[in-house]
Amino acid sequence: MAIEKLLKYEQDSRFPLTLSKSESRLYMSFISFAFIALFVGGLMGLLQVLVRSGYYTLPAGIDYYQVLTVHGVVLGLVLTTYFIIGFQYTLMGKTVGISDTQYRVAWLGFWVMTLGTVMAAITILYGKASVLYTFYAPLQAHPAFYIGLALVIIGSWIACFVNWRQLYVWKKKHPGEKSPLLAFMVVINMIMWFIATLGVAASVLLQFIPWSLGYAATIDVLLSRTLFWYFGHPLVYFWLLPAYMAWYAIIPKIIGGKIFSDSLARLSFVLFLFFSIPVGLHHQLTEPGVQTTWKFVQIILTFMVVVPSLMTAFSMFATFEISGRRKGFGGLFGWFVHLPWKDVRFLAPFVGMLAFIPGGAGGLINASYQLNSVIHNTIWVTGHFHLTVATTVILTFFGITYWLVPHLTGRKLTPSVNRLGIIQTIFWAIGMTIMSAAMHIQGLLGGPRRSSFSEYNGSEQVAEWGAYQVAQAIGGTILFIGIVLMIYIFIKLAFFSPKGNEEFPIAEEEKDAEPTPMWLEKWKLWVAITIALILFAYTIPIMDIIQHAPPGSAPFAWPIGNN
Amino acid sequence: MMKKKTLPNSSSQEPNLKGTIISVSIVGFIIVASWFAVFGLFLSR
Repeated sequence: MAIEKLLKYEQDSRFPLTLSKSESRLYMSFISFAFIALFVGGLMGLLQVLVRSGYYTLPAGIDYYQVLTVHGVVLGLVLTTYFIIGFQYTLMGKTVGISDTQYRVAWLGFWVMTLGTVMAAITILYGKASVLYTFYAPLQAHPAFYIGLALVIIGSWIACFVNWRQLYVWKKKHPGEKSPLLAFMVVINMIMWFIATLGVAASVLLQFIPWSLGYAATIDVLLSRTLFWYFGHPLVYFWLLPAYMAWYAIIPKIIGGKIFSDSLARLSFVLFLFFSIPVGLHHQLTEPGVQTTWKFVQIILTFMVVVPSLMTAFSMFATFEISGRRKGFGGLFGWFVHLPWKDVRFLAPFVGMLAFIPGGAGGLINASYQLNSVIHNTIWVTGHFHLTVATTVILTFFGITYWLVPHLTGRKLTPSVNRLGIIQTIFWAIGMTIMSAAMHIQGLLGGPRRSSFSEYNGSEQVAEWGAYQVAQAIGGTILFIGIVLMIYIFIKLAFFSPKGNEEFPIAEEEKDAEPTPMWLEKWKLWVAITIALILFAYTIPIMDIIQHAPPGSAPFAWPIGNN
Repeated sequence: MMKKKTLPNSSSQEPNLKGTIISVSIVGFIIVASWFAVFGLFLSR
C-alpha cells in the first residue's frame, strides 16, 4: 500500500472561509423549507397517533392514508433532503468555497426540487396520491406525483454535481493536499446518494410514469419494489451520514476537544459507501420471487455496516474521554462529567447518539432472516426508524440548527434560546421513549404498521394492543409539543435573536496527529469497489426477477391511492 | 527467566482509553443481548 503521505494541511490559514450574504440566503432557503416540512409532517404524525389510539376520527372525511402519505413524504423525503443539502452546502462553503457559477447552479437545483415537491404535495393534498412514501405498486397515484418525485431527485443530483465540482476545483488549486475532512464526507455522501437514486429514478421513469399515464397496462411489482429498496436502504445512510459529519468534525470543537482520528473518520465513510447500497434485499426478506441465497448474501453485506458503526461509536467515546482527561477529570468514567450538558449544541446530538444504541441493535434484528419474520410489517419497524431517523438524525439536525441558523442570519444563540432548546430536547427524548417503546412492544405482539385503527372483529390478540396505541398517542402528543417548540426556536434564531456572530464550529486535528495516508483519497477506486459490490449483489437477483416475472399487475387506484 | 519487554517510549504518550473500550463493549453487549432476546421469541413461537 502506498505510504506516501499528503502534505500537512495548514488548517488555520485556509479555513473556515467566510460565507457571503447571498450564499447564506441560498443555504437558509434549503433549511427554512425543511422546517416548514417539519411542522406540516409533524402535525400529520399527531393526527395519526390520535387516530390509531381509537379515540379520534379525522374530520371532514380526511383519509387516514392521505395523512400517512403526507407524514412519510414530507418528513422522510422533503425535510431530510432539504436540510441535508443545505447543511452540506454550508460545509462545502466553509471548507472549499463556492464559485459564482456553482452558486447559480445550486439555486437551479433548489427550484427544480421545489417544483417537484409542490407537484407531489398538490397531488397528495387532493387525495390523488395516497400511496405512502414507499409508493408500492400496484397502488397507483396521479402521474404528477411520480413526475414531482422525479424532479426532486433531479434537483438533488444538481446538488451532487455542484458539491463534486466544488471539491474538484479546490483540489486543482491545492495539488497534493488532502481534501478538508468535511468536504471529503460531503462528497462521499453525494456519491452514495447519486448511485442509490439511479435505482428509484429508473423505476419511476421506466415503470411508474408510463404505467400511471396509461402507456403501459401493467407493472412488474417485484421489480419496482426491488428498485425502491435498492434506493431505500442507502436513503437511511444519506440521512445518517450528515449527522456523523457533525459527530466526527463539529462536536469535538463544541466540547473543547480535537478530532480523534482524521483517517478513521474518512475510512468509516468509505466503508459506509461500500456497504450502504448492496443491501436493499434485507427489506424484502419475506418477498417471494427472490432467491434465498441472494437475500443471505445481502444480509452478510448488511452486517458489514457494524464495522464502521462501531468505529464511529469508538471514535465518539474516545473524543469525550481524551478531552475530559486533558481537563483533569480522572477515573474510569470521570471524563463523562466534563461534557457540556448545559450546551444544547452538544446535548441534542448526544441524546441522538444514545438513541442510536437501541436503534442500531434493532436494525440488526430487522436484517436477520429469522428475526425479521418476528417483526416484519409490524409497528416494531416504525418504532425502529423513529429511533434512527426521527431521533438520532433529527436531534443532531436540531443540534446543528442552534448554531448554523444564527451563523447564517448574523445573529446569536442566546442563553434563553439555549435553555428552551434543552427543554425541547427533553420533550423529544421523553416523547420518543414512550412512543417508540410502545411501538416496539406492540410490534412484538403482532400489531401491524401502516394500517389505520381497526378492532379486527374483536380478535383476542388485538385487545393486547390497545394500551400501547394509547401510549403512542401520548408520546406522539409530547413530540408534537417538541415540534412546536422547535419551530418557535427556529423563527427566533432566524429573525429575532440579537445581532452578532455565532461560531461555525469546525474541529481540528491534534497538532502531532499522524498524517492521513494518501490512499484514502483514491476516489476512483472507492467508486469502482462500490459498483463492483452492487453488481455482485444485484445482477443475478434482478435478472431472475425480470426473466421469471409473473404477469404484471393492473393499477389499483382504490381503496387508497388515487380516488 | 525471560526479561520483560519494555514498550517503546512513544507508547507512554498514548491516551488512556479504558473508559472508551468499556463503553463500546457495553454497546456491543446491548446489541448482542437484544438480538438473542428476539431470537428467543422466534424460537418460542
